[in-house]
Amino acid sequence: MAEDPESSLQLPPSTAAEGEGPTEGSPETVTPEPPSSAAVSPGTEEPVGDTKKKIDILLKAVGDTPIMKTKKWAVERTRTIQGLIDFIKKFLKLVASEQLFIYVNQSFAPSPDQEVGTLYECFGSDGKLVLHYCKSQAWG
Amino acid sequence: MHYPIGLLFDLLASSSALPWNITVHFKSFPEKDLLHCPSKDVIEAHFMSCVKEADALKHKSQVINEMQKKDHKQLWMGLQNDRFDQFWAINRKLMEYPAEENGFRYIPFRIYQTTTERPFIQKLFRPVAPDGQLHTLGDLLKEVCPSAVAPEDGEKKNQVMIHGIEPMLETPLQWLSEHLSYPDNFLHISIIPQPTD
Repeated sequence: MAEDPESSLQLPPSTAAEGEGPTEGSPETVTPEPPSSAAVSPGTEEPVGDTKKKIDILLKAVGDTPIMKTKKWAVERTRTIQGLIDFIKKFLKLVASEQLFIYVNQSFAPSPDQEVGTLYECFGSDGKLVLHYCKSQAWG
Repeated sequence: MHYPIGLLFDLLASSSALPWNITVHFKSFPEKDLLHCPSKDVIEAHFMSCVKEADALKHKSQVINEMQKKDHKQLWMGLQNDRFDQFWAINRKLMEYPAEENGFRYIPFRIYQTTTERPFIQKLFRPVAPDGQLHTLGDLLKEVCPSAVAPEDGEKKNQVMIHGIEPMLETPLQWLSEHLSYPDNFLHISIIPQPTD
């Protein structure tokens, strides 16, 4: 897949240090985050073209949940839903006590330890996995 | 990962005699490794999500979505209170399929092995071949977990276990899904090394 920082950012590795990201903006506003501030530099990460290891995820906000400025992400298959939730919460600057729910097919919430690669295999379409995220339980 | 206890037994302790003696810890919860379930509601939510995921595979979520909230509740309460009839009054609808089809759209299954790093194998797999033949358990294994199936010339390396029994590999997968699924509507399959004794 094309290495286009604007459309398909690489998720920082799970061991990324805390406290990354811009300091401005409140959780309710969309804070622009330049690709270079992500904890990854393309040179040191595994090549994006290795389609076996990474899958494309499209994140869609539900209700009044803040919208991510970058919606499309290339994510390692072994990343868990919990890892993704933690990343989105950090990206949206939600406090740890706020909940975030992720849904597949707008119908079920996968287990937090589910790997995104498996979800992509079973529920992906058009080369990507669409996930809806919400601060409250949208689909029970 | 929170697995059904029968699955845990098959996977980890199948050579033990029943009843299974376990040690319950009340301190030092391994927060980093396991999900903490703070309340029964969390367990109910997790169970219902599994059922919904299974129906997404079987029926594109049509059956589960057509049910009312009280039906979902009845499914959970039937399981929680060990009420077979109460549970199956709802669950039987999840086991039906259109008359013109020969089975579900895809079979909800997870294959567990203690010898690999990945938590489990779950993929799309149809119960019926294009020519109308029913796929078997052996067909599934050959397709998604070929290393588990014994080579033609070699001896049997592994046991393929569901609910503590080894179904014949010729068993149609559709039948297994309807009759041997766990309450969450998934077939949880353990691949364990053949005992040497």
